[in-house]
Amino acid sequence: MSTPDLARRQPRVRAVRLRIGRGTLVLPPLGIVLLVLVGPIVVLTLYSVNLRTNIPGTPTAFSSANWKDFLTGHGNPFRARFFYSMKFTLLVSFAVTVAAYPLAYYLAFVARRFRYTLLLVLIAPFFTSYLLRIVAWSDIVLNNNGIINQSLWTLHLRAHGNGVGWLLYSNFSIFLVLFYAWIPFVSLPIFAVLENMDHQLTEAAADLGASRFTTFWTVTFPLSLPGVIAGFVFVLIPTTGEFIAPLYVGGPNNQLFGNEIQSFFGDSPNWNYGAALAIALIAVVLVLMLIFGRFLSTDLRTRRSER
Amino acid sequence: MGVVGIDRRQFLVAAGGSLGLGVLSACGSSSSSIASPAASKRPPISAEPGTLSILEWAGYEAAGTKAQTYGLLAGTDYTKKYGASGITYAYIVNDDEALAKATSGGPFDIMHPCHENIPDYVKRGLVQPWDTSLLPSLKQLNPYLLRATKYRGKQYHIPWDWGYGSLLYRTDKIAPTDAAGWELAWNKNYSGKVSLWNGASTNFEIAALKLGYPNMDVLTPTQLESAKQALITQKPLNKLYWGSEYSQEQPNFKSGEVWVTYCWQDSLVSMTKAGLKCAFLQPSQGRLSWICGFMLGANTKNYYHAHAYVESYINHAAAAQMTNLFYYGNSNATVTAADIKNKTLVAALELGNPRAVTTAPNHLQSWTPNRAALELAWQEVQAA
Repeated sequence: MSTPDLARRQPRVRAVRLRIGRGTLVLPPLGIVLLVLVGPIVVLTLYSVNLRTNIPGTPTAFSSANWKDFLTGHGNPFRARFFYSMKFTLLVSFAVTVAAYPLAYYLAFVARRFRYTLLLVLIAPFFTSYLLRIVAWSDIVLNNNGIINQSLWTLHLRAHGNGVGWLLYSNFSIFLVLFYAWIPFVSLPIFAVLENMDHQLTEAAADLGASRFTTFWTVTFPLSLPGVIAGFVFVLIPTTGEFIAPLYVGGPNNQLFGNEIQSFFGDSPNWNYGAALAIALIAVVLVLMLIFGRFLSTDLRTRRSER
Repeated sequence: MGVVGIDRRQFLVAAGGSLGLGVLSACGSSSSSIASPAASKRPPISAEPGTLSILEWAGYEAAGTKAQTYGLLAGTDYTKKYGASGITYAYIVNDDEALAKATSGGPFDIMHPCHENIPDYVKRGLVQPWDTSLLPSLKQLNPYLLRATKYRGKQYHIPWDWGYGSLLYRTDKIAPTDAAGWELAWNKNYSGKVSLWNGASTNFEIAALKLGYPNMDVLTPTQLESAKQALITQKPLNKLYWGSEYSQEQPNFKSGEVWVTYCWQDSLVSMTKAGLKCAFLQPSQGRLSWICGFMLGANTKNYYHAHAYVESYINHAAAAQMTNLFYYGNSNATVTAADIKNKTLVAALELGNPRAVTTAPNHLQSWTPNRAALELAWQEVQAA
């Protein structure tokens, strides 16, 4: 066998070995994902079509009644609540992203050597549990005897004892708590993109006579879009199933779709109907991830140059 | 029992029954006849693991356990004798959730549902009857409560805490003429100042009474639909459906966020002590009443430990202290008005009448045959 032949064969052998090695490494995490993520979804699906039941002695047989009722039932309140929740979620996601951008911009371009200190301050609330922070908003800040109403009374802007009714157990309070909770999450990916941006590009724009606004709008902002979209998705996906904030600071008319699902599995158990709602929500989240995933996987700048 | 859905403390309070000692003892249903046929085959208590798994309301944990932080005396006898380290608790906030957890989250050695759920626990095979001969204090329990909690002739449920459910309202905010019946919760003059409990069956019972359906737990489909529509109409008037008595119901009432709230008699005592001008509504249609207690896991390996545990709750000293601590009635009839420190509570519990909780004008919350339809209807109310 000649030397050139050996040279051609060796790489093939190495490639095969590597392929086996990679596959083996992937197996454990893949198994865990299948077990704890896909497995429950399959079980939930079985519940949603009445092939399983949580009530001993109840007969099981395939039925699409829950799905039909949810998807096509006349005036179905759960479907209406779903659309209400999605609108609310989009509003929260958009507002948080818009508000987080200047925060991230400040950290990346203005704060300079204090940026990481300020970043630590920004994420400091996460050292406390989400539930405790919600309760703090409810009991210390927003309620009838909370800081805001007490201040209004002290300043004689409202009669003593007459609190602002919409501060708590309202859409406002849910929005406020979610806004507060998500701001750091959204700021981080935007900050990461801005900080890693090639500053020579903005300098070049300035050298070519672009104003600061033009530089921002035509250079900085487009380059930061992957971070903006990532931040938006970071809020959108979990908020579609949010139920804790509405549970603690929302009123009866402000509950979100997640509360309906939670209630079907807790307070008023009907796992079969609740499973149909849960699977529907999972499906929507998957579609959202597919839509936004393409924006997260690559750099827009790269994509644009590839076209 | 509608009471169930909250911080268990409330329930605890409920146990205070001060029915006349002698009367009760005389009628007393004693017990021992229900010993399990398999009792003789059971290993002795010394051979049991002694690790009790209990489904309980927060606040009712045995004295001596780390979980008990309210100062409850109940459970002391057990933990002194068998130790506290072997006891673990899972928590519930309402009866619907309790049944779901008992069904899917167990098995538990002891559960603490309210009596209207007894048929569901039995039919699902979750429980077995108690051997009443192993509960020395059983002869002291209110016979009317024992009778109400029997099922198929067996004592599946040992009553412990009981009470009433009605609307607590601010007498300085609500016109006296408006405080006549359950329709107070539908009064638009108080929109945004009302708060019902996040409890499916209780709210349908309230709606049924308001609509004039005294057979509140056995509604026809038409009545159920009417009750649902009534609750949808009432929903916008609520500031919130409260889920926790101690972190939502009482604080909101105390702060003035809410002027009319569904609650149990313990809140009347607490809010009165806090200095609020308030009253516990005596609706023209009658109040709700409830009885909660202990059920024994069907396959418990701690049969004798479980009996010892419950005995440490129903004895006179433990029961009386629970009532004084949490303002709930208790099932031990030897606890009389003289044992209760707060006289507002004595009046609210009607301790002089051992039958009060189980007879008119009070409506004892009872098993509903169409639970699934009712719960789905409640979901629709919430989503509407």
